[in-house]
Amino acid sequence: MAKKELTFNEAMKEIEAILHNIESGNLDIDRLSKEVRRASELIRLCQKKLRATEEEINGIFKELS
Amino acid sequence: MNEKLSLTELQLIIRDSLYTALPGFYWVFAEISEAKENYAGHCYLELIEKHPDEINIRARVRAVIWNTRYRFLKSFFESTTGETLRPGIKILIRVKIEYHEIYGLSLVINDIDPAFTLGDMAIKRQQILKRLEEEGVISMNKELELPVAPQRIAVISSRTAAGYQDFVKHLKENIYGYGFSITLFEAVMQGTETEQSVISALNSISEQYERFDVAVILRGGGAQSDLSWFDNYNIAYHITQFPLPVITGIGHEKDISVTDIVAYHALKTPTAVADYLIEKMVSAENMLLQLADEMSEIVKEIIEKKKERLTSFMTRIIPVSNRLISSEKSELSVKLIDLSNKVRNRLSREEINLAGMKKKIESASLNFTGSKENELKISDKLIRINTYNLLRNLEAKIKSMSESLNMLSPVNVLKRGYTITVVNGQIIKSTEYLNRGDEIDTFFHDGKIKSSVTEKSKEKFIDL
Repeated sequence: MAKKELTFNEAMKEIEAILHNIESGNLDIDRLSKEVRRASELIRLCQKKLRATEEEINGIFKELS
Repeated sequence: MNEKLSLTELQLIIRDSLYTALPGFYWVFAEISEAKENYAGHCYLELIEKHPDEINIRARVRAVIWNTRYRFLKSFFESTTGETLRPGIKILIRVKIEYHEIYGLSLVINDIDPAFTLGDMAIKRQQILKRLEEEGVISMNKELELPVAPQRIAVISSRTAAGYQDFVKHLKENIYGYGFSITLFEAVMQGTETEQSVISALNSISEQYERFDVAVILRGGGAQSDLSWFDNYNIAYHITQFPLPVITGIGHEKDISVTDIVAYHALKTPTAVADYLIEKMVSAENMLLQLADEMSEIVKEIIEKKKERLTSFMTRIIPVSNRLISSEKSELSVKLIDLSNKVRNRLSREEINLAGMKKKIESASLNFTGSKENELKISDKLIRINTYNLLRNLEAKIKSMSESLNMLSPVNVLKRGYTITVVNGQIIKSTEYLNRGDEIDTFFHDGKIKSSVTEKSKEKFIDL
């Protein structure tokens, strides 16, 4: 079976975890930019999901998970 | 048996005896088992009293409320209790016994005490709540977690209910443009079918609960009555065992039902439920934006710090490297001077040695003249060879030394591309002594040129 799709809650938790990770200050620049990119993408998708049409609501995070 | 009575006579005797024995009015409490209004607006009821086992019937009687009285009692009862006169509820009524020769015995109701019904309802509700509490399930639905962004909504309602339509409209037209997916599970929202119908809708949602974030039970828009259909143990129990948070919008102006009490969250109207969900979405988005802000703040800070470190590296590196270069340079020129001095000293020393040796050889050879011829001849030969070799060596040494010296001579320096600038026979070492229009001689290794100064600047060769 395919991997279970990410939910809004899970995406939010992941963003928080990344934020925490960044805050700890232990990341080198390359890793930092990678994490920031991931977090930005999650934020963008979350916002998109909030305004998604009915058919889209279930599918927004598919490309990520 | 002497006297024979007609049926009518008998019925009249019964009636008279009843009226004599039971004059006036009585307050009686009973449960309604049947109720219907006829075309004329009279209300016909069947009243019962159950055994404590709640199954067997102990007593039964017919009753009627005449239309003129019924119009008044009905609205009084409904507005006070939020209930209708329907099967299953208990009432306290003021009755007069009536006996009709065709229809037999019935009770004519001329007053009703809604407080009794309210009390009974409250007791029933308390019993249900107590049972749910004892079973330890009463707050189970409240302990579930409502998703941060509740967008996929399963609705239990009837399609035609105004409340449902309001709910859909309100959600779809939210000013923030949030998306909602609404799936209706139709159910009967009042009457005896309510329990079974709502439970089967709950079960259908349960079977596919992963498709939804929340379930909503909606009613309203119609008469604000029949709340007691939701004071139901089975519906309440199903909600406590439900896998999704349940939000209710079946509220009554005055009271809340057992269903409301066990639900995750209870609101009065379907529109209020819609507002609640929209608010959840707003706070979800706010959380998101706050996270984004925090992140950009932190990242900015980190990058700023790294930049500062880089700048401090740069400012430290430049003076250090400059110092290093200039010290290397001066060391180099010292070495150069040292070298040329050494070469010069060595050369003059060798010259002196050479002259001394020449003298020695000359005197030695003079001493040998006139000695033994043979010895002389041999010695002469030897000396010649030795001298020759010695001279050859010295010559080679001198040659290499003079080559070194040549390297340092101005001519050779000129050959490497340098020039010497002369004005009036003086070598010019700085632009300081030159002005526009001055005539200068520039010496190359193979000649000289004359030119005049047209421009002067501080620009240095190294800068090119």
